[in-house]
Order: sequence, then structure tokens, then C-alpha cells
Amino acid sequence: MIYWFALIVAGVFEVIGVMNVKRLADKQKNALVFMIVFFGISFLLLSYAMKEIPMGMAYAIWTGIGTVGSALMGMYLFGEPRSWTRLTCIAVILASAVGLKLIA
Amino acid sequence: MLQELEGTNSMNLNWSFVLLAGILEVFWVSGLKHATNTFEWGITIGAIAVSFFLLTLASKKLPIGTLYAVFAGIGTAGTVLAEMLVFGEPFNLMKIVLIGTLLCGVIGLKVLNSKEEKAVSEFEAQEVVV
Repeated sequence: MIYWFALIVAGVFEVIGVMNVKRLADKQKNALVFMIVFFGISFLLLSYAMKEIPMGMAYAIWTGIGTVGSALMGMYLFGEPRSWTRLTCIAVILASAVGLKLIA
Repeated sequence: MLQELEGTNSMNLNWSFVLLAGILEVFWVSGLKHATNTFEWGITIGAIAVSFFLLTLASKKLPIGTLYAVFAGIGTAGTVLAEMLVFGEPFNLMKIVLIGTLLCGVIGLKVLNSKEEKAVSEFEAQEVVV
């Protein structure tokens, strides 16, 4: 249970890391530090979760949370386009990447 | 150098930053898995830094949601390819099919983004006239 919790937190921290990529581009305060810290903790939690959850599955879920979370964050925080065509393309990439990680 | 790059408006340049960041991701993911000495670890850490630097550059112009999907997608597809071609993982048709669908998604986002950019710049051009 604690491993699944770690995995989900790893995914959330990844999204916060991605948010700080954008904040860094916008020259916001402390963005570089936040980016390194959140991605760093995210990787640590991911590798911790992999002790119990099979690697492919852990990696697939982590990528899934990161991709979906970043798309939602972009739309709600930064007003990025919400066209269904764009979301379909992101979903196709997501499904393919998750599939690859599950079978690899 | 940052200033110079900010001056260039070419969307293709931003897309090549993302592609390059994704390709570098393949190197550092392989490095994290296979690196054994200080030199290889140095290259791995360097690739991580450059790859995120390129993402930051591209995120000035490209939507972050699009950017991260493409970055993670290219990284995943490239890593699976590298594992098959370089590190001797078994060849699997399903992997090739999924890499194909993934690339379709990436190309789709690129095409859509160019259309949106064009629409926005035409809109802005009209604003100026008014």
C-alpha cells in the first residue's frame, strides 16, 4: 500500500516539476530549485515504489500521471488549447507509451 | 545565447529542441540503467541537464502539456528501440506498432500546433490593422 502511495506522490511531484519547467521559462522565482527538487524526489519515490511494484507497471503509471497531469495543468493553469483533436493526440501518445512500458 | 534564441520565432526550432531533448532522454535513461564508471555517469548527468534545458527553451513557445507528452513519448519509444538495437532485448512486433502509433500522435500535435500558431498570428495581424 505504501508503495502505491509513493508511486502516486511521485507522479504528482513529476507534474509539479513540469510546472517549474514552464515557470523557469517564464523566469519565475526559484523555478530551477523547485524543478530539481521535485523531479529529484519524484525519481527517488519512483525507484522506491519499484521495490514492490513491477518496474514496467510502475514506470507506465508514473508516465501516465505525468502526461495527463501536465496536459490538465497546462489547460487549467496556463490556458492552453482544449481542442479535442489535441487531446486525442496526447491520448494516443499516452496509450502507446504506457503500452510500450508494460510490454518492455 | 538565451537572448539570441528568444529572438528567433521559428516554431520548427522549438520542435527540434523537444525532439533533441527526447533523444537525449534515451541516452540518460540508458545511462541510468547501464552506466558503470565515473565517465559514463558524467555523460548521463550532463545529458539530463541539457535535456531539461532544451525543454525549458521550448516551453517559452510551445504548450507545456504538448511538450511533456512529446518529450516523454519520444523518450519511451527511443529507449525501447535502443534496448532492442543496442542492448539486445528481444524484437517484438507489438513494440514496433506502438512506436508507430506514438509517432502518429507526435506528428498530429506538431501539425495542430502549426495550425493554431497560424490562426493566432493571422488574428494578431488583423488586430494591428484595426
